Amino acid sequence: MTPIIQLDNVSYSYPVSEDWILKNVSLDIKKGSFVSIVGNNGSGKTTLCNILRGFIPHFHKGDLEGAIKLDGTDMSEYQLGQLGEKIGFVFQNPFTQISGVKDTVFEEVAYGLENLGVPVEDIYERVEEVLSLVKIQNLREKNPFELSGGQRQRVALASIIVMDPDILVIDEPSSQLDPIGTEHVFEIIRLMKERGKTIILVEHKMDLVAEYSDELIVLDKGEVLIQGPTRDVLASDVFNKAQIQYPHVTEIALELQKQGVPLNFLPIRDSEITTCFENDRGNK
Amino acid sequence: MNQNPILSLHPLTKFYFALFITVSVIIVPNYIFAYAWFPVLMIIAAVAKVAKPFISFILKTLMILLVIVFLMQLFFYPGEDVIGSWWIFDLTHEGLMHGLSLTSRILAIGSAFILFFRIVDVKDFVKALEDIGMPPTGAYIVLSTLQIIPEMRRQSNTIMEAQKTRGVETDGSLIVRAKAFFPTLTPLILSSIASTEERAITLESRAFSAPGKKTSLHKLTKRPIDRVLPWVYIGIIIGLIIWRVFL
Repeated sequence: MTPIIQLDNVSYSYPVSEDWILKNVSLDIKKGSFVSIVGNNGSGKTTLCNILRGFIPHFHKGDLEGAIKLDGTDMSEYQLGQLGEKIGFVFQNPFTQISGVKDTVFEEVAYGLENLGVPVEDIYERVEEVLSLVKIQNLREKNPFELSGGQRQRVALASIIVMDPDILVIDEPSSQLDPIGTEHVFEIIRLMKERGKTIILVEHKMDLVAEYSDELIVLDKGEVLIQGPTRDVLASDVFNKAQIQYPHVTEIALELQKQGVPLNFLPIRDSEITTCFENDRGNK
Repeated sequence: MNQNPILSLHPLTKFYFALFITVSVIIVPNYIFAYAWFPVLMIIAAVAKVAKPFISFILKTLMILLVIVFLMQLFFYPGEDVIGSWWIFDLTHEGLMHGLSLTSRILAIGSAFILFFRIVDVKDFVKALEDIGMPPTGAYIVLSTLQIIPEMRRQSNTIMEAQKTRGVETDGSLIVRAKAFFPTLTPLILSSIASTEERAITLESRAFSAPGKKTSLHKLTKRPIDRVLPWVYIGIIIGLIIWRVFL
């Protein structure tokens, strides 16, 4: 698969800041893959998202070094307006992610399509579809300002996926959601991947990250510690040293391994807990 | 759709009407003419079923202004023809006339625009302006301001609660309230500035600056009457000008 986004030795510092928030970040994101970015607070995940979406260098100034390529073209050659159609960005704070000019959730979700100049009949159809996908039909007539955090988060997600971008950059989509809401959001993201979208996700809930993502990028203090397939990354010593939480099942398995229980393979999903020990037991 | 004959007019038709009144009272010097607009506006308000808020708004705002302006003119307008006196002030005929003509115009223009904003939804008006070429950025600024004011009120309540839990007194005498002003207002202003950046990013994520023409779910219909009425206004204005200049 060809990389859709390539970062080569990218470093960045915000305006008036002395410190480099990102240091020599190089990574490839393959078309159609589901990549999760993990790292502790302050490791530069959100900044990296801003770079991937093109807000750096188009919106935030500051010092940017290195090359960022989107679909083989340098990011600086795109206009910010063009990127809206190509890369969807759902960011952390659901409370400011409201256009502020629409009275109902339906209109709010339709806003991006209006800006893209989609014909009105198509807008109705697409918004309808997304509302039912994200399960917010019941909110359609509500004022976006009167929603709870979790509801706003779903509206924010809906407002972006309705625009049908090729790449989705999603920064902590479930921070305000209950466990069921969170699972549901992940199901939606999975569905987007099945439709061929490239997904870049920032998330702290490692169980879900391991369950869904193809690849992990581990950030620590602005540097990429490791990038690779989820299982390989979780099994590596580098990940262990990064002080990031393991998925629960992996943590248990590693603990058992330390106690002398042989592992067939390192489990990263809940469903694997039964098979990772099975064969060994059978052999004894 | 709205069946009310006034409310269902195109917003620009309503706006041109307010402009029409403004121009007409400037052309015609007679204060009776300008005062006569007021009952007309009341009838329009009554048909649009907004008479009550319309009148109460005028009484609360415009009336006070009119009284002050009228008295100022009455007492201080220079003139020869003294018709009475009060305390150390002389009332002149010129002052009375000038007061009447000034207040009649303020009343006509003021109430025309007050009525305009009563019978038009600002959203519709902005959309209408956008249709005739206002840039989307301008439209966004107007509309977002309308929505953000109640949002800021909500936020200021939250901040107030937060400051209360930190021991800032916000209830009580005037001085106590005044003291609470800074610890509540400063975070409100700062957080509003901070959220501006995120809002800009939100808009950008929704392809606000995407090249090409935008579409809109919100459609305004222009009926024949909306095409005819502006020409009627222009016709009357031209008639008034001719009458003023030649007769």
